[in-house]
Amino acid sequence: MKRAFLIAVLSVVAWLGIGIASAAPPLKVGASVALTGKYSRTGQEQLNGIKMWVQDVNARGGILGRKVDLVYYDDESKPDTGAKLYEKLITDDKVDLLLGPYSSGVTLAASTVAEKHGFPMVSSGASSTKIWSRGYKNVFGLYTPGTTYMNQILHFAKSKGLKTVALIYADTAFPRNVAKGVKVTAKKLGLKIVFEEEYGKATTDFAAMIQKMRRLKPDVVIGGSYLPDSTAFIRQAKENRLYAKIFAFAVGPGLPDFGKNLGSDAEDVMGNTQWEPTLNIPGAKDFATRYKEKYGHEPGYHAAGGYGAGQVLEAAVKKAGSINHAALRRALLHLNTVTIFGRYKVDKTGMQIGKPGYTVQWQGGERYVVLPKDVAVKPVVYPFKPWSGR
Amino acid sequence: MAAVLIALAALVPATGASDYQITFLLQLLMMIALAQSWNLISGMTGYVSFGHAAFFGVGAYAGALLLEAGLPWWLAILAAGGIAFVVAIPLGFLTLRLRGPYFAIAMLGLNEVGRIIATLWVSLTSGGDGIPLAPSLLPPLRWNYYAMLLLAIAACVAIARVYGSRFGLELRAIREDEGAAEMVGVNTTRNKVLAFVLSTLIPGAVGAVYAMYTSFIDPNSVFSTALNIQMIVIVMLGGTGTLWGPILGAVIVVTLREWLWASFPALHLLLMGVGIIVIVLFLPDGVLSLLRKRKSVRPEAVGAGEEAEP
Amino acid sequence: MNLLDPIFIGQLVIGGLLAGALYALLACGLNMVFGVMRVINVAHAEFMLVGSFAAYVLYRYLHVHPFVSVVIAAVLLYGLGFLLQRYLVERVVNRSLLTSLLLTYGMSIVLMNSGLLIFSSDFRSVPVLQGSFVAGPFIIPQSRAAAALVSLAVTVAVYWFLKRSRLGKAVRAVSEHAEVAMLCGIDVVRIRMFTFGLAAAMAAVAGVMLSMIYSFSPDTGPDFITKCFAIMVIGGMGNFLGAFYGGLLLGVVEALVGGFVTTQWAQAMSYLLLVLVLVVRPTGLKGARLAK
Repeated sequence: MKRAFLIAVLSVVAWLGIGIASAAPPLKVGASVALTGKYSRTGQEQLNGIKMWVQDVNARGGILGRKVDLVYYDDESKPDTGAKLYEKLITDDKVDLLLGPYSSGVTLAASTVAEKHGFPMVSSGASSTKIWSRGYKNVFGLYTPGTTYMNQILHFAKSKGLKTVALIYADTAFPRNVAKGVKVTAKKLGLKIVFEEEYGKATTDFAAMIQKMRRLKPDVVIGGSYLPDSTAFIRQAKENRLYAKIFAFAVGPGLPDFGKNLGSDAEDVMGNTQWEPTLNIPGAKDFATRYKEKYGHEPGYHAAGGYGAGQVLEAAVKKAGSINHAALRRALLHLNTVTIFGRYKVDKTGMQIGKPGYTVQWQGGERYVVLPKDVAVKPVVYPFKPWSGR
Repeated sequence: MAAVLIALAALVPATGASDYQITFLLQLLMMIALAQSWNLISGMTGYVSFGHAAFFGVGAYAGALLLEAGLPWWLAILAAGGIAFVVAIPLGFLTLRLRGPYFAIAMLGLNEVGRIIATLWVSLTSGGDGIPLAPSLLPPLRWNYYAMLLLAIAACVAIARVYGSRFGLELRAIREDEGAAEMVGVNTTRNKVLAFVLSTLIPGAVGAVYAMYTSFIDPNSVFSTALNIQMIVIVMLGGTGTLWGPILGAVIVVTLREWLWASFPALHLLLMGVGIIVIVLFLPDGVLSLLRKRKSVRPEAVGAGEEAEP
Repeated sequence: MNLLDPIFIGQLVIGGLLAGALYALLACGLNMVFGVMRVINVAHAEFMLVGSFAAYVLYRYLHVHPFVSVVIAAVLLYGLGFLLQRYLVERVVNRSLLTSLLLTYGMSIVLMNSGLLIFSSDFRSVPVLQGSFVAGPFIIPQSRAAAALVSLAVTVAVYWFLKRSRLGKAVRAVSEHAEVAMLCGIDVVRIRMFTFGLAAAMAAVAGVMLSMIYSFSPDTGPDFITKCFAIMVIGGMGNFLGAFYGGLLLGVVEALVGGFVTTQWAQAMSYLLLVLVLVVRPTGLKGARLAK
């Protein structure tokens, strides 16, 4: 009996001791990332950016005096896996803060879970306007919306007197969103879409599609795509001698891999990007240098987006003074700040309206910002150099 | 024994278990329901259905769309099961004419056809975007859980009743030797088709519940071959043709999967593949037979009717 | 714009035949395995991808040209197939179809995910023979032409081997009637190992050719295996020539549908054809003899 009493007392003391010894518990930030599957390349980049932010913010003393702990899982580039993971992060891991996954598709699913729990989520890695058209109150985006991606390129085409556009896009949320924007803008500018086709996201054979396009001789070829499909398309366009004065794709050309995989075939291909390390944004160059030191290659915009999302979260928590969901939500809605990714300012649905998109083009084996003119590093090379001349 | 388990399962949500834990049990019940329904067609008749997930997918989409159309959630679930059933009727007649390998391939193709239809029929299904269900439409997690519990119970009861009935006897006769069964007057076509369509009711309803608790579906997630395989492995692991086998198999597989998936995301599929090979080679009668030291139905018998000429 | 432009159609048909030759090579190997041991090897497409990755690694790090890698990969996969048959598949050949299907499915999952762990799911390709040459009004990509020629050559060689050589006849004997073959003194077990290895080698050749044409990643397998299934059923299961013509047919149909409808429908073609044939004539267009 005496022994039991002693054990009980010791346990209570130990428990109290542990309770006192641990300082303010760390802030858990949860996210799912595409580490495997179709988006693994870009998902990994986004994770790298987030991890760098976690390191930096902890070096600064954390947020509200608490260290930041990152909890993340692999969503396999699949929306349903992402949904399950966010459910786990919220109800099982009981995270304090949420960052969004990569790709509009996975974000569509994850945001529904966040909305269900009234948990605000800061999303980089997604741009489909569909995400913000559902009346949700808990999703806050960093990326410029997908429908605007090709606007600068289309305006440029119009300025050169071009008339016809061939549009292709993958059958998932983001590419379809880009295509939607292309159709609206083309109509406004009086450009005619002479060919339009949606393709399965796993498509690697574009030969038949290219045959069809060749017959129509479009001035401009635009693709709502990711990296693997845009790469395959350009390669096959060369093989099948498809020529257009402008070739522009989403995502692919914005990544260093594009040039690496295609070599001289990437020359003159245009694309859009959310961010470039060469832009004149406070902190951008520093981030790029440190990223390169740490990971061995230049950061693409997905990495910067990850970092920027962390910064937005940090700024919002500071503004709200707490991690309470309602306070955080209000803060994110009204926050107006600049991160290394650019300006963050959202409309009442949480969609980004403060940051522009940029157009890049591959020249001489490197990627340069060519539009808008006021931030262009180099002028646009026009028209597209014929395949046989490479 | 069964009554105790059911009572325990019914009480779980009341015990303050976290949402995540309830979801885990829900997934377990889902696999039990699916495995038993697979047991009904493949375990009983020997016509191995490699594409049963197609009806799960049909049910998921039916449930989601009906829910968006305004039906109350429980009605959507029942209707989804019914729709899967209706879709299965012509499919059953078409595919069950085929023997052995042809049937297996046809069913494998079926799942893909479902996925492709869901992707291409954009006006109905939003194609590759998938359908994110608005939170306001969804029933609370607890109700999803009870729905799944009821479905799992229904599936088990169905298997038990069929097994002991004349219908079950006729099905097993088909499995042993279809030609002989026909000679003694068993209407093999009618029986096969009946077993087939009955076995799709549960997956259809289960699919709808799935849609409602994950709140997001798209063609790739609900017409997934991985789901097919899990159904089959669960039944094989536990013991084909028995009542408790699939339940035991589901507990093992779902628990393992959950543990692996969270801790070793890159490895879990690999280990599942190794697991399948090991089960196939070394545990053909399932774990249940090890426990009970009783001969349950051997998988060979399940496939016995297939060696005949097509 | 006249859709019935003969040049347009001709271009599509040529492209289809070129792609179809590759499908045929792949499907013939799978079919052969089925014929000899009544096993549907779901991992066949993963064997192909091992070949593709071998070509990629050899090219990238050792600058070996794919035409050389073809031989290396074929030998490698022959060995792998032989061993897998001996230690795994042989155990299930006399059991039910479900059992062997599950085993090979397990093998394919293991191979696919090992590939993902080693190479990640980035898409790769071997960028040789890029560009095309012109034959009349038609454009023929060099890589596809080379792939088609090699595939044809190998398929024809295997066909000739099965028909004429002693070993080939033994293989055919086993596929027609294993017990009788055994009575005739044929070592049925060794024949099975040999056949499985040969089919894997054929898949490896297809894989190396593939690496020059398409981008591939470890999870590209399922697309191809379903095409193979469709071809096997269309051509008649166990029927070598059937699989050959079926492969060409599928290639052409996919190209034509891609040209006249959309690429998405083209990808659905293998399933649609499969369903069509199963409904109308389950034994396939050339008739299944479950034997050659």
